[in-house]
Amino acid sequence: MATFSIDIAGAAHSLREATRTGNLIAPLRETFPLITAADAYAIQRTNTEHRVREEGRRIVGCKIGLTAKAVQAQLGVDQPDFGMLFDDMGFGDGEPVSMEGLQQPKIEAEVAFVLGRDLDMEKPGHADVIQAIDHLLPALEIVGSRIADWNIRFVDTVADNASSGAYVLGSTPKKLSHVDLRLCGMVMTRRGEPVSVGAGAACLGNPLNAVVWLARTMAAVGQPLRAGHLVLSGALGPMVAVNAGDIFETRINGLGSVKAVFETEPTGRQLT
Amino acid sequence: MNRVEELAEQLDAAARDAREVTQIDPEGHLSLQDAYAIQRASIERRVSRGAGRIGVKMGFTSRAKMVQMGLSDVIWGRLTSDMLIEEGMATSFVRFVHPRVEPEIAFLLKKPLSGHVTAAEALAAVEAVAPALEVIDSRYRDFKFTLPEVIADNASSSGIVVGPWTDPREDFSNLGLTMSIDGRVAHVGSTAAILGHPLRSLVAAARLSDAAGEPLQAGWVVMAGGATPAEWVKPGQYVSIEMERLGGAGFHMEN
Repeated sequence: MATFSIDIAGAAHSLREATRTGNLIAPLRETFPLITAADAYAIQRTNTEHRVREEGRRIVGCKIGLTAKAVQAQLGVDQPDFGMLFDDMGFGDGEPVSMEGLQQPKIEAEVAFVLGRDLDMEKPGHADVIQAIDHLLPALEIVGSRIADWNIRFVDTVADNASSGAYVLGSTPKKLSHVDLRLCGMVMTRRGEPVSVGAGAACLGNPLNAVVWLARTMAAVGQPLRAGHLVLSGALGPMVAVNAGDIFETRINGLGSVKAVFETEPTGRQLT
Repeated sequence: MNRVEELAEQLDAAARDAREVTQIDPEGHLSLQDAYAIQRASIERRVSRGAGRIGVKMGFTSRAKMVQMGLSDVIWGRLTSDMLIEEGMATSFVRFVHPRVEPEIAFLLKKPLSGHVTAAEALAAVEAVAPALEVIDSRYRDFKFTLPEVIADNASSSGIVVGPWTDPREDFSNLGLTMSIDGRVAHVGSTAAILGHPLRSLVAAARLSDAAGEPLQAGWVVMAGGATPAEWVKPGQYVSIEMERLGGAGFHMEN
């Protein structure tokens, strides 16, 4: 008799091994043709639990992915996804990031939201989220994929912790009331050349919409966002491939700037 | 009539009658100098019919576009009074061949500006900045052209819409913007897409227009170049730009 169950633990293990060894894997949708979005989130959850229990890592927040219309169209979905952020994924402004432990890295500029209150009510709305946001920071997210050649569809990226890798945060907190989140201009440069340009509106029309989607989703799955949690909004402009030695700086109007420095030699702090 | 005059007449007629033409130089024999001579002669014909010169437009100001076209410099075109579309009002689709629109930032000059100027000198000549839309409408069939051909065709320029003017002394190097069709966002970008800083486009405009013997004048408008890819416009659509801090502008494309 044919079996319709997906080997959640096996798929989770293969993603962890790809992270550890750098040997990238085939798309999960090819290995498990019947895989659903729920299966993909189950695989992600399995690895989250493994990382917390077995590796001693701490959850510090969430990232939102697939927030650009063009990217959603490319993957054939009409909704974003989320992944978990762990303490050791974070880097400070200009702090060297090692290329070791990053898989096929790409970089994108985002808004980081830091919450001052729990969002543990049922179905949180815009007003709840606005009240819960303590401050904003400019951020660069370094995404990565354990799936060879970034050959991903929705289930592949969801299972792979929303293709997360690392992130760099700016250091000067700003209040929500001081930023035009929808129209804030964003430019990311490499060696002084603009390599990605956009604005807040590129992220679900307004990055706040992405945070509300996340707050509702996390409340619905019984893991509400908490005071102190960090939320990465999703990209304000196109992502760019990262090479060893690259230095990227992004300026987001109203939020200031943040710089990501990638080491040429394996001297920077590594992701565990 | 020499070859330059002949081609200028052909392109002027195509622009006037909103009629497409085949490529004038598909093999690429024209030099850039020839191309600008054709543009000048073509615009002179338009001016002799009563249109006024109101400024210049800059083109290929995004690094990506320059690389795509294999260019080392930006290009420019001449703005004439008949290209103005009043903000919030309508223009007619029949005026165009196959119009596209792109969001830009516009400069209004309070002083003449010519030659090799510094960014500081350029800024000192600016009275105000505004969100703007440019209708680009290549007269060539299928929007297909070589670099000399697009220059001869006035850098595809065919209409401008300018929003509210604002004091230029606050930083405008990275203003976020959206361009919408019928209220739906079609493109998102920032003024930083224009050579990294739109002021660099004005510096280039001063240099290039002076070299052509037509230095920038007080009261002229300089369109700095597209901040996002262009979007096709169909009859009946409303096109608008919204820019961080500077406000918006829009126009109706009527049948």
